[in-house]
Amino acid sequence: MASYRERLTRDLDGWIAGGLVPAESRETILDSVGEARRLDAATALAVIGGLLAGIAVIAFVAANWSGIPRIARFAMILAAFLATAGAAAWAAGRERPVASQVLLCVAAMVFAAAIGLTGQIFDIAGSPQAALGGAGLGAGLLALAAGSPWTAAVSLVFLAAGDIAAGRVFDNAPSWPGWTAYAAPLGAWLALRWSSQPLAHVAAPAVGIGAVSVAMLLPTMPEAVPWLFTVFFILLAAGARWLWQRSQAPAGILYGWWAWGAMLAFAAVGSGRLLTGAGHSIACLALSAGVVALGRHDRHRGVTALGVLALIASAARLLFDLGVGLLTSAAIFGASALVALVVSAVMQRRRRAA
Amino acid sequence: MRFEAPLRITAVAAVLALALTGLVVREGTARARGQEVALAITGYDPRELLTGHYIRFQIVHEAPPGTACPPGADQSWPRGKTTWVALRREGTRHAPAGVAERRSEAAKLGEVTVRGRLTCVAPVVSPPDAGAAQAEPTRTTLDLGVDRLHIDQAQAEAMERDLLRRAEAHAVFSVASDGTPRLKGLIVNGRRVDLDWF
Repeated sequence: MASYRERLTRDLDGWIAGGLVPAESRETILDSVGEARRLDAATALAVIGGLLAGIAVIAFVAANWSGIPRIARFAMILAAFLATAGAAAWAAGRERPVASQVLLCVAAMVFAAAIGLTGQIFDIAGSPQAALGGAGLGAGLLALAAGSPWTAAVSLVFLAAGDIAAGRVFDNAPSWPGWTAYAAPLGAWLALRWSSQPLAHVAAPAVGIGAVSVAMLLPTMPEAVPWLFTVFFILLAAGARWLWQRSQAPAGILYGWWAWGAMLAFAAVGSGRLLTGAGHSIACLALSAGVVALGRHDRHRGVTALGVLALIASAARLLFDLGVGLLTSAAIFGASALVALVVSAVMQRRRRAA
Repeated sequence: MRFEAPLRITAVAAVLALALTGLVVREGTARARGQEVALAITGYDPRELLTGHYIRFQIVHEAPPGTACPPGADQSWPRGKTTWVALRREGTRHAPAGVAERRSEAAKLGEVTVRGRLTCVAPVVSPPDAGAAQAEPTRTTLDLGVDRLHIDQAQAEAMERDLLRRAEAHAVFSVASDGTPRLKGLIVNGRRVDLDWF
Protein backbone atom coordinates (compact mmCIF):
# COMPACT_ATOMS: atom_id res chain seq x y z
CA MET A 1 0.00 0.00 0.00
CA ALA A 2 1.37 3.41 -0.98
CA SER A 3 2.21 5.76 1.89
CA TYR A 4 0.67 9.21 2.20
CA ARG A 5 3.89 10.77 0.89
CA GLU A 6 3.89 8.52 -2.19
CA ARG A 7 0.25 9.32 -2.92
CA LEU A 8 0.90 13.04 -2.40
CA THR A 9 3.90 12.93 -4.74
CA ARG A 10 1.76 11.33 -7.43
CA ASP A 11 -1.09 13.81 -6.93
CA LEU A 12 1.32 16.76 -6.75
CA ASP A 13 2.89 15.85 -10.08
CA GLY A 14 -0.60 15.72 -11.57
CA TRP A 15 -1.51 19.12 -10.11
CA ILE A 16 1.75 20.65 -11.41
CA ALA A 17 1.05 19.18 -14.86
CA GLY A 18 -2.46 20.65 -14.71
CA GLY A 19 -1.13 24.06 -13.69
CA LEU A 20 -2.83 23.98 -10.30
CA VAL A 21 0.40 24.18 -8.27
CA PRO A 22 3.65 25.94 -9.24
CA ALA A 23 6.49 23.48 -9.93
CA GLU A 24 8.88 25.33 -7.62
CA SER A 25 6.61 24.54 -4.62
CA ARG A 26 6.97 20.78 -5.15
CA GLU A 27 9.96 20.14 -2.87
CA THR A 28 8.74 22.56 -0.19
CA ILE A 29 5.37 20.78 -0.02
CA LEU A 30 6.95 17.33 0.08
CA ASP A 31 9.47 18.37 2.74
CA SER A 32 6.65 19.69 4.90
CA VAL A 33 5.04 16.23 4.99
CA GLY A 34 8.06 14.20 6.06
CA GLU A 35 7.98 10.44 6.12
CA ALA A 36 6.34 8.54 8.93
CA ARG A 37 8.49 5.93 10.57
CA ARG A 38 7.47 2.45 9.42
CA LEU A 39 8.52 -0.90 10.74
CA ASP A 40 10.54 -2.72 8.12
CA ALA A 41 10.63 -6.52 7.91
CA ALA A 42 13.85 -6.81 9.92
CA THR A 43 12.48 -4.66 12.74
CA ALA A 44 9.18 -6.54 12.72
CA LEU A 45 11.08 -9.82 13.01
CA ALA A 46 13.13 -8.36 15.87
CA VAL A 47 9.90 -7.40 17.63
CA ILE A 48 8.47 -10.90 17.16
CA GLY A 49 11.77 -12.38 18.32
CA GLY A 50 11.70 -10.22 21.44
CA LEU A 51 8.16 -11.26 22.29
CA LEU A 52 8.99 -14.92 21.71
CA ALA A 53 12.00 -14.51 23.99
CA GLY A 54 9.64 -13.26 26.71
CA ILE A 55 7.41 -16.29 26.28
CA ALA A 56 10.48 -18.54 26.31
CA VAL A 57 11.56 -16.98 29.63
CA ILE A 58 8.13 -17.64 31.11
CA ALA A 59 8.18 -21.24 29.89
CA PHE A 60 11.71 -21.69 31.19
CA VAL A 61 10.99 -20.44 34.67
CA ALA A 62 7.77 -22.46 34.78
CA ALA A 63 9.69 -25.65 34.09
CA ASN A 64 10.95 -27.81 36.90
CA TRP A 65 14.17 -26.66 38.39
CA SER A 66 13.73 -27.96 41.87
CA GLY A 67 17.37 -29.04 42.24
CA ILE A 68 18.41 -25.39 42.77
CA PRO A 69 18.06 -23.95 46.30
CA ARG A 70 15.05 -21.70 46.78
CA ILE A 71 17.03 -18.56 47.51
CA ALA A 72 19.14 -19.13 44.37
CA ARG A 73 16.02 -19.60 42.24
CA PHE A 74 14.60 -16.38 43.60
CA ALA A 75 17.87 -14.57 42.92
CA MET A 76 17.88 -15.90 39.34
CA ILE A 77 14.36 -14.60 38.75
CA LEU A 78 15.22 -11.17 40.12
CA ALA A 79 18.44 -11.12 38.08
CA ALA A 80 16.53 -11.99 34.88
CA PHE A 81 14.06 -9.17 35.54
CA LEU A 82 16.71 -6.60 36.43
CA ALA A 83 18.87 -7.60 33.45
CA THR A 84 15.99 -7.20 31.00
CA ALA A 85 14.90 -3.88 32.51
CA GLY A 86 18.55 -2.75 32.54
CA ALA A 87 18.90 -3.65 28.87
CA ALA A 88 15.74 -1.63 28.13
CA ALA A 89 17.21 1.34 30.01
CA TRP A 90 20.47 0.97 28.06
CA ALA A 91 18.58 0.88 24.74
CA ALA A 92 16.56 3.95 25.76
CA GLY A 93 19.82 5.77 26.52
CA ARG A 94 21.20 4.85 23.09
CA GLU A 95 18.10 6.30 21.33
CA ARG A 96 16.85 2.87 20.20
CA PRO A 97 13.15 3.21 20.94
CA VAL A 98 12.00 -0.05 19.34
CA ALA A 99 14.62 -2.17 21.15
CA SER A 100 13.85 -0.36 24.40
CA GLN A 101 10.12 -0.97 24.07
CA VAL A 102 10.53 -4.66 23.20
CA LEU A 103 12.92 -5.21 26.11
CA LEU A 104 10.61 -3.36 28.47
CA CYS A 105 7.68 -5.56 27.37
CA VAL A 106 9.83 -8.61 28.05
CA ALA A 107 10.81 -7.16 31.46
CA ALA A 108 7.11 -6.67 32.28
CA MET A 109 6.38 -10.29 31.35
CA VAL A 110 9.39 -11.53 33.34
CA PHE A 111 8.11 -9.57 36.33
CA ALA A 112 4.69 -11.24 35.93
CA ALA A 113 6.41 -14.64 35.86
CA ALA A 114 8.53 -13.61 38.85
CA ILE A 115 5.43 -12.94 40.93
CA GLY A 116 3.97 -16.36 40.16
CA LEU A 117 7.25 -18.18 40.64
CA THR A 118 8.07 -16.42 43.90
CA GLY A 119 4.71 -17.61 45.18
CA GLN A 120 5.55 -21.12 44.01
CA ILE A 121 9.12 -21.19 45.36
CA PHE A 122 8.17 -20.02 48.85
CA ASP A 123 4.62 -21.46 48.82
CA ILE A 124 3.08 -18.06 49.42
CA ALA A 125 -0.68 -18.39 49.17
CA GLY A 126 -2.30 -15.73 47.05
CA SER A 127 -5.01 -15.25 44.51
CA PRO A 128 -4.29 -15.34 40.76
CA GLN A 129 -6.10 -12.03 40.38
CA ALA A 130 -3.78 -10.35 42.89
CA ALA A 131 -0.77 -11.72 41.00
CA LEU A 132 -2.15 -10.48 37.68
CA GLY A 133 -3.00 -7.10 39.22
CA GLY A 134 0.53 -6.83 40.62
CA ALA A 135 1.98 -7.73 37.23
CA GLY A 136 -0.22 -5.10 35.56
CA LEU A 137 0.76 -2.47 38.10
CA GLY A 138 4.46 -3.26 37.61
CA ALA A 139 4.14 -3.09 33.83
CA GLY A 140 2.21 0.18 34.14
CA LEU A 141 4.94 1.77 36.27
CA LEU A 142 7.60 0.66 33.79
CA ALA A 143 5.50 2.06 30.92
CA LEU A 144 5.10 5.44 32.62
CA ALA A 145 8.78 5.58 33.54
CA ALA A 146 9.87 4.92 29.97
CA GLY A 147 6.97 6.53 28.10
CA SER A 148 6.47 3.14 26.47
CA PRO A 149 3.04 2.57 24.87
CA TRP A 150 3.68 -1.12 24.15
CA THR A 151 4.43 -1.81 27.82
CA ALA A 152 1.31 0.16 28.74
CA ALA A 153 -0.65 -2.19 26.46
CA VAL A 154 0.90 -5.20 28.25
CA SER A 155 -0.11 -3.61 31.57
CA LEU A 156 -3.71 -3.21 30.44
CA VAL A 157 -3.86 -6.85 29.30
CA PHE A 158 -2.64 -8.04 32.74
CA LEU A 159 -5.04 -5.76 34.61
CA ALA A 160 -8.03 -6.82 32.50
CA ALA A 161 -7.11 -10.50 32.96
CA GLY A 162 -6.86 -9.88 36.72
CA ASP A 163 -10.29 -8.25 36.82
CA ILE A 164 -11.83 -11.09 34.86
CA ALA A 165 -10.14 -13.68 37.12
CA ALA A 166 -11.41 -11.78 40.19
CA GLY A 167 -14.97 -11.99 38.91
CA ARG A 168 -15.31 -8.20 38.70
CA VAL A 169 -16.44 -8.40 35.08
CA PHE A 170 -18.62 -11.41 34.51
CA ASP A 171 -19.62 -12.41 38.07
CA ASN A 172 -22.26 -10.63 40.06
CA ALA A 173 -21.86 -8.42 43.11
CA PRO A 174 -18.19 -7.41 43.18
CA SER A 175 -17.37 -5.00 46.00
CA TRP A 176 -15.44 -2.46 43.92
CA PRO A 177 -14.72 -1.73 40.24
CA GLY A 178 -11.86 -3.50 38.54
CA TRP A 179 -8.45 -1.93 38.02
CA THR A 180 -9.32 -1.68 34.33
CA ALA A 181 -11.99 0.91 35.15
CA TYR A 182 -9.21 3.33 36.13
CA ALA A 183 -6.36 2.12 33.92
CA ALA A 184 -8.20 1.83 30.59
CA PRO A 185 -9.24 5.53 30.33
CA LEU A 186 -5.67 6.45 31.30
CA GLY A 187 -4.46 4.06 28.58
CA ALA A 188 -6.75 5.70 25.99
CA TRP A 189 -5.47 9.13 27.00
CA LEU A 190 -1.86 7.95 26.79
CA ALA A 191 -2.54 6.41 23.36
CA LEU A 192 -3.57 9.89 22.16
CA ARG A 193 -0.72 11.61 23.96
CA TRP A 194 1.92 9.18 22.70
CA SER A 195 0.21 8.76 19.28
CA SER A 196 0.29 5.00 19.74
CA GLN A 197 -2.00 2.88 17.61
CA PRO A 198 -1.16 -0.44 19.39
CA LEU A 199 -2.05 1.09 22.76
CA ALA A 200 -5.28 2.50 21.29
CA HIS A 201 -6.19 -1.02 20.05
CA VAL A 202 -5.80 -2.40 23.60
CA ALA A 203 -7.16 0.57 25.56
CA ALA A 204 -10.41 0.92 23.60
CA PRO A 205 -11.79 -2.59 24.38
CA ALA A 206 -10.29 -2.34 27.89
CA VAL A 207 -12.54 0.70 28.47
CA GLY A 208 -15.48 -1.62 27.72
CA ILE A 209 -14.21 -4.18 30.26
CA GLY A 210 -13.76 -1.44 32.84
CA ALA A 211 -17.27 -0.13 32.14
CA VAL A 212 -18.74 -3.62 32.63
CA SER A 213 -16.94 -3.90 35.99
CA VAL A 214 -18.49 -0.57 37.04
CA ALA A 215 -21.93 -1.67 35.80
CA MET A 216 -21.68 -4.74 38.03
CA LEU A 217 -21.75 -2.39 41.04
CA LEU A 218 -25.04 -0.81 39.99
CA PRO A 219 -28.23 -1.95 41.67
CA THR A 220 -30.05 -4.64 39.70
CA MET A 221 -31.27 -2.80 36.60
CA PRO A 222 -30.91 -5.33 33.78
CA GLU A 223 -33.31 -3.29 31.61
CA ALA A 224 -31.33 -0.05 31.86
CA VAL A 225 -27.76 -1.34 31.52
CA PRO A 226 -27.74 -1.94 27.71
CA TRP A 227 -29.32 1.49 27.16
CA LEU A 228 -26.71 3.12 29.43
CA PHE A 229 -23.93 1.31 27.59
CA THR A 230 -25.34 2.35 24.21
CA VAL A 231 -25.38 6.02 25.22
CA PHE A 232 -21.95 5.69 26.91
CA PHE A 233 -20.29 4.21 23.82
CA ILE A 234 -22.03 6.61 21.43
CA LEU A 235 -20.67 9.53 23.46
CA LEU A 236 -17.19 7.98 23.55
CA ALA A 237 -17.26 7.25 19.81
CA ALA A 238 -18.47 10.79 19.07
CA GLY A 239 -15.68 12.26 21.19
CA ALA A 240 -13.05 10.06 19.54
CA ARG A 241 -14.41 10.97 16.08
CA TRP A 242 -14.16 14.65 16.96
CA LEU A 243 -10.51 14.21 17.98
CA TRP A 244 -9.78 12.06 14.92
CA GLN A 245 -11.04 14.79 12.65
CA ARG A 246 -8.51 17.09 14.33
CA SER A 247 -5.60 14.92 13.16
CA GLN A 248 -5.34 12.67 16.23
CA ALA A 249 -4.63 9.41 14.34
CA PRO A 250 -5.06 6.95 17.28
CA ALA A 251 -8.46 8.54 17.97
CA GLY A 252 -9.66 6.91 14.74
CA ILE A 253 -8.93 3.52 16.27
CA LEU A 254 -10.77 4.43 19.46
CA TYR A 255 -13.68 5.70 17.34
CA GLY A 256 -13.90 2.39 15.48
CA TRP A 257 -13.77 0.21 18.63
CA TRP A 258 -16.28 2.33 20.53
CA ALA A 259 -18.66 2.37 17.56
CA TRP A 260 -18.56 -1.44 17.77
CA GLY A 261 -19.25 -1.15 21.51
CA ALA A 262 -22.28 1.06 20.89
CA MET A 263 -23.68 -1.32 18.28
CA LEU A 264 -23.17 -4.39 20.49
CA ALA A 265 -24.80 -2.59 23.43
CA PHE A 266 -27.76 -1.63 21.28
CA ALA A 267 -28.04 -5.26 20.12
CA ALA A 268 -28.23 -6.24 23.81
CA VAL A 269 -31.12 -3.80 24.27
CA GLY A 270 -33.26 -6.40 22.48
CA SER A 271 -32.93 -8.74 25.43
CA GLY A 272 -34.99 -6.35 27.58
CA ARG A 273 -38.68 -5.55 27.45
CA LEU A 274 -38.76 -1.94 26.24
CA LEU A 275 -37.73 -2.57 22.64
CA THR A 276 -37.93 -6.18 21.51
CA GLY A 277 -38.68 -8.42 18.54
CA ALA A 278 -39.27 -6.94 15.11
CA GLY A 279 -39.26 -3.38 16.50
CA HIS A 280 -35.73 -3.81 17.83
CA SER A 281 -34.58 -5.49 14.61
CA ILE A 282 -35.98 -2.62 12.51
CA ALA A 283 -34.24 -0.10 14.79
CA CYS A 284 -30.98 -2.09 14.38
CA LEU A 285 -31.48 -2.12 10.62
CA ALA A 286 -31.93 1.66 10.53
CA LEU A 287 -28.97 2.22 12.84
CA SER A 288 -26.78 -0.11 10.73
CA ALA A 289 -27.65 1.81 7.58
CA GLY A 290 -26.74 5.01 9.38
CA VAL A 291 -23.41 3.50 10.52
CA VAL A 292 -22.60 2.43 6.93
CA ALA A 293 -23.31 5.98 5.73
CA LEU A 294 -21.22 7.43 8.55
CA GLY A 295 -18.35 5.05 7.83
CA ARG A 296 -18.35 5.97 4.15
CA HIS A 297 -18.63 9.67 4.95
CA ASP A 298 -15.69 9.48 7.38
CA ARG A 299 -13.73 7.04 5.15
CA HIS A 300 -13.34 4.82 8.22
CA ARG A 301 -13.10 1.16 7.18
CA GLY A 302 -13.75 -0.22 10.66
CA VAL A 303 -16.98 1.73 11.08
CA THR A 304 -18.12 0.87 7.53
CA ALA A 305 -17.42 -2.82 8.14
CA LEU A 306 -19.36 -2.61 11.40
CA GLY A 307 -22.34 -1.10 9.59
CA VAL A 308 -22.30 -3.77 6.89
CA LEU A 309 -22.05 -6.64 9.37
CA ALA A 310 -24.73 -5.15 11.59
CA LEU A 311 -26.94 -4.66 8.53
CA ILE A 312 -26.65 -8.34 7.60
CA ALA A 313 -27.22 -9.46 11.20
CA SER A 314 -30.21 -7.14 11.61
CA ALA A 315 -31.80 -8.34 8.38
CA ALA A 316 -31.33 -11.97 9.38
CA ARG A 317 -32.74 -11.25 12.83
CA LEU A 318 -35.73 -9.44 11.32
CA LEU A 319 -36.51 -12.39 9.09
CA PHE A 320 -36.34 -14.64 12.14
CA ASP A 321 -38.59 -12.30 14.16
CA LEU A 322 -41.19 -12.20 11.39
CA GLY A 323 -41.24 -15.99 11.24
CA VAL A 324 -40.05 -15.80 7.62
CA GLY A 325 -43.35 -14.23 6.61
CA LEU A 326 -42.26 -13.38 3.09
CA LEU A 327 -44.95 -10.81 2.27
CA THR A 328 -44.39 -8.94 5.53
CA SER A 329 -40.61 -9.16 5.03
CA ALA A 330 -40.96 -7.80 1.50
CA ALA A 331 -43.03 -4.88 2.76
CA ILE A 332 -40.57 -4.00 5.55
CA PHE A 333 -37.47 -4.33 3.39
CA GLY A 334 -39.19 -2.36 0.61
CA ALA A 335 -40.09 0.42 3.05
CA SER A 336 -36.52 0.40 4.44
CA ALA A 337 -35.10 0.61 0.91
CA LEU A 338 -37.43 3.51 0.13
CA VAL A 339 -36.29 5.39 3.25
CA ALA A 340 -32.62 4.77 2.39
CA LEU A 341 -33.13 5.97 -1.22
CA VAL A 342 -35.01 9.09 -0.14
CA VAL A 343 -32.31 9.98 2.45
CA SER A 344 -29.62 9.37 -0.17
CA ALA A 345 -31.42 11.60 -2.70
CA VAL A 346 -31.84 14.39 -0.15
CA MET A 347 -28.15 14.20 0.79
CA GLN A 348 -27.07 14.32 -2.86
CA ARG A 349 -29.32 17.29 -3.56
CA ARG A 350 -27.86 19.15 -0.55
CA ARG A 351 -24.32 18.37 -1.70
CA ARG A 352 -25.07 19.71 -5.18
CA ALA A 353 -26.70 22.83 -3.72
CA ALA A 354 -23.60 23.41 -1.58
CA MET B 1 16.45 18.32 38.12
CA ARG B 2 15.18 16.16 35.28
CA PHE B 3 15.48 12.37 35.29
CA GLU B 4 16.10 10.80 31.91
CA ALA B 5 14.27 7.64 30.77
CA PRO B 6 17.16 5.18 31.52
CA LEU B 7 17.37 6.42 35.09
CA ARG B 8 13.61 6.27 35.55
CA ILE B 9 13.43 2.72 34.15
CA THR B 10 16.28 1.58 36.43
CA ALA B 11 14.66 3.21 39.46
CA VAL B 12 11.24 1.61 38.81
CA ALA B 13 12.84 -1.81 38.17
CA ALA B 14 14.75 -1.53 41.46
CA VAL B 15 11.56 -0.58 43.32
CA LEU B 16 9.68 -3.56 41.82
CA ALA B 17 12.53 -5.97 42.70
CA LEU B 18 12.62 -4.59 46.25
CA ALA B 19 8.84 -4.95 46.55
CA LEU B 20 9.06 -8.61 45.55
CA THR B 21 11.92 -9.20 48.00
CA GLY B 22 9.98 -7.41 50.73
CA LEU B 23 7.00 -9.68 50.10
CA VAL B 24 9.15 -12.78 50.54
CA VAL B 25 10.81 -11.45 53.72
CA ARG B 26 7.47 -10.39 55.18
CA GLU B 27 5.91 -13.80 54.47
CA GLY B 28 8.94 -15.58 55.95
CA THR B 29 8.82 -13.48 59.11
CA ALA B 30 5.06 -13.93 59.51
CA ARG B 31 5.45 -17.67 58.97
CA ALA B 32 8.09 -17.90 61.69
CA ARG B 33 6.11 -15.81 64.18
CA GLY B 34 2.67 -17.43 63.81
CA GLN B 35 1.15 -20.11 66.00
CA GLU B 36 1.89 -23.57 64.65
CA VAL B 37 -0.92 -26.07 64.06
CA ALA B 38 -0.78 -29.49 62.40
CA LEU B 39 -3.86 -30.68 60.53
CA ALA B 40 -4.59 -34.11 59.04
CA ILE B 41 -4.43 -34.27 55.24
CA THR B 42 -5.21 -36.70 52.44
CA GLY B 43 -4.36 -36.68 48.74
CA TYR B 44 -7.00 -35.15 46.47
CA ASP B 45 -6.97 -38.07 44.09
CA PRO B 46 -4.17 -40.63 43.78
CA ARG B 47 -4.00 -40.00 40.03
CA GLU B 48 -3.58 -36.27 40.51
CA LEU B 49 -1.55 -36.40 43.65
CA LEU B 50 1.67 -35.49 41.97
CA THR B 51 1.63 -33.05 39.11
CA GLY B 52 4.99 -31.54 38.42
CA HIS B 53 6.90 -31.33 41.66
CA TYR B 54 4.26 -30.45 44.12
CA ILE B 55 2.08 -32.43 46.42
CA ARG B 56 -1.56 -31.55 46.36
CA PHE B 57 -3.58 -32.26 49.44
CA GLN B 58 -6.81 -31.49 51.20
CA ILE B 59 -7.27 -31.02 54.91
CA VAL B 60 -9.74 -33.68 56.00
CA HIS B 61 -10.64 -34.67 59.53
CA GLU B 62 -12.45 -37.97 59.87
CA ALA B 63 -14.54 -38.75 62.94
CA PRO B 64 -16.21 -42.08 63.83
CA PRO B 65 -19.58 -42.83 62.12
CA GLY B 66 -22.45 -41.09 63.82
CA THR B 67 -20.34 -38.18 65.10
CA ALA B 68 -22.13 -34.87 64.65
CA CYS B 69 -20.61 -32.23 62.38
CA PRO B 70 -18.76 -29.34 64.10
CA PRO B 71 -21.04 -26.32 64.73
CA GLY B 72 -21.71 -24.33 61.57
CA ALA B 73 -19.94 -26.79 59.27
CA ASP B 74 -23.12 -28.39 57.94
CA GLN B 75 -24.69 -25.12 56.81
CA SER B 76 -24.01 -23.47 53.46
CA TRP B 77 -22.16 -20.15 53.64
CA PRO B 78 -22.43 -17.61 50.77
CA ARG B 79 -19.68 -17.92 48.18
CA GLY B 80 -16.82 -15.51 48.79
CA LYS B 81 -17.84 -14.80 52.39
CA THR B 82 -15.01 -14.84 54.91
CA THR B 83 -15.68 -17.21 57.76
CA TRP B 84 -13.66 -18.06 60.87
CA VAL B 85 -12.77 -21.64 61.66
CA ALA B 86 -12.01 -22.73 65.20
CA LEU B 87 -9.31 -25.37 65.79
CA ARG B 88 -8.95 -27.37 68.98
CA ARG B 89 -5.93 -29.30 70.11
CA GLU B 90 -6.10 -33.10 69.99
CA GLY B 91 -2.82 -34.38 71.40
CA THR B 92 0.01 -32.98 69.29
CA ARG B 93 -2.32 -32.12 66.40
CA HIS B 94 -5.29 -29.84 65.82
CA ALA B 95 -8.76 -30.58 64.48
CA PRO B 96 -11.60 -28.36 63.23
CA ALA B 97 -14.01 -27.52 66.05
CA GLY B 98 -16.53 -25.33 64.25
CA VAL B 99 -17.05 -22.32 62.01
CA ALA B 100 -18.65 -18.93 62.61
CA GLU B 101 -19.19 -15.63 60.86
CA ARG B 102 -17.29 -13.65 63.51
CA ARG B 103 -13.96 -14.39 65.06
CA SER B 104 -15.28 -13.84 68.60
CA GLU B 105 -17.92 -16.52 68.03
CA ALA B 106 -15.36 -18.94 66.61
CA ALA B 107 -13.03 -18.31 69.57
CA LYS B 108 -15.66 -19.87 71.85
CA LEU B 109 -15.38 -23.16 69.93
CA GLY B 110 -11.61 -23.68 69.88
CA GLU B 111 -8.35 -22.16 71.07
CA VAL B 112 -7.02 -21.23 67.59
CA THR B 113 -9.08 -19.24 65.06
CA VAL B 114 -8.16 -19.04 61.41
CA ARG B 115 -9.67 -17.59 58.23
CA GLY B 116 -11.07 -20.39 56.08
CA ARG B 117 -14.08 -22.44 55.10
CA LEU B 118 -15.37 -25.60 56.70
CA THR B 119 -17.72 -28.18 55.20
CA CYS B 120 -18.89 -31.40 56.70
CA VAL B 121 -20.64 -34.56 55.52
CA ALA B 122 -22.08 -36.82 58.17
CA PRO B 123 -23.67 -39.89 56.55
CA VAL B 124 -26.81 -41.14 58.18
CA VAL B 125 -25.92 -44.13 60.33
CA SER B 126 -27.71 -47.18 58.93
CA PRO B 127 -29.03 -50.08 61.01
CA PRO B 128 -26.40 -52.71 61.82
CA ASP B 129 -27.70 -55.08 59.10
CA ALA B 130 -27.34 -52.52 56.29
CA GLY B 131 -23.82 -53.61 55.41
CA ALA B 132 -20.74 -51.49 54.67
CA ALA B 133 -22.57 -48.17 54.46
CA GLN B 134 -22.75 -47.98 58.24
CA ALA B 135 -18.95 -47.61 58.44
CA GLU B 136 -18.90 -44.23 56.65
CA PRO B 137 -17.08 -41.71 58.87
CA THR B 138 -18.07 -38.09 59.39
CA ARG B 139 -15.76 -36.09 57.09
CA THR B 140 -14.96 -32.48 57.81
CA THR B 141 -13.03 -30.66 55.08
CA LEU B 142 -11.13 -27.46 55.83
CA ASP B 143 -10.20 -25.02 53.06
CA LEU B 144 -7.44 -22.62 54.11
CA GLY B 145 -6.65 -21.45 50.57
CA VAL B 146 -3.51 -23.61 50.41
CA ASP B 147 -3.65 -27.03 48.81
CA ARG B 148 -0.13 -27.78 47.62
CA LEU B 149 3.49 -27.81 48.64
CA HIS B 150 6.26 -27.38 46.09
CA ILE B 151 9.24 -29.60 46.85
CA ASP B 152 11.90 -31.33 44.83
CA GLN B 153 11.04 -34.37 42.74
CA ALA B 154 12.69 -37.03 44.91
CA GLN B 155 10.93 -35.84 48.06
CA ALA B 156 7.63 -35.46 46.23
CA GLU B 157 7.77 -39.01 44.88
CA ALA B 158 8.68 -40.45 48.28
CA MET B 159 5.78 -38.61 49.90
CA GLU B 160 3.45 -39.70 47.14
CA ARG B 161 4.30 -43.35 47.80
CA ASP B 162 3.67 -42.87 51.53
CA LEU B 163 0.36 -41.12 50.94
CA LEU B 164 -0.78 -43.85 48.56
CA ARG B 165 -0.12 -46.34 51.36
CA ARG B 166 -2.48 -44.18 53.47
CA ALA B 167 0.32 -43.20 55.81
CA GLU B 168 -0.49 -40.71 58.54
CA ALA B 169 0.02 -37.22 57.10
CA HIS B 170 -0.35 -33.69 58.43
CA ALA B 171 0.08 -30.20 57.03
CA VAL B 172 1.82 -27.77 59.37
CA PHE B 173 0.44 -24.23 59.26
CA SER B 174 1.50 -21.03 60.91
CA VAL B 175 -1.50 -18.97 62.01
CA ALA B 176 -0.80 -15.26 62.28
CA SER B 177 -2.40 -13.02 64.90
CA ASP B 178 -4.80 -11.72 62.21
CA GLY B 179 -5.93 -15.29 61.48
CA THR B 180 -4.07 -15.69 58.19
CA PRO B 181 -2.80 -19.26 57.69
CA ARG B 182 0.60 -19.89 56.06
CA LEU B 183 1.90 -23.30 55.12
CA LYS B 184 5.10 -24.24 56.97
CA GLY B 185 5.57 -27.83 55.84
CA LEU B 186 4.26 -31.38 55.73
CA ILE B 187 4.66 -34.35 58.05
CA VAL B 188 4.23 -37.64 56.21
CA ASN B 189 4.87 -40.92 57.98
CA GLY B 190 6.66 -39.11 60.78
CA ARG B 191 9.06 -37.37 58.35
CA ARG B 192 8.78 -33.58 58.32
CA VAL B 193 9.57 -31.37 55.32
CA ASP B 194 9.75 -27.67 56.15
CA LEU B 195 9.71 -24.68 53.86
CA ASP B 196 12.92 -22.75 54.26
CA TRP B 197 15.19 -20.48 52.24
CA PHE B 198 17.12 -23.44 50.87
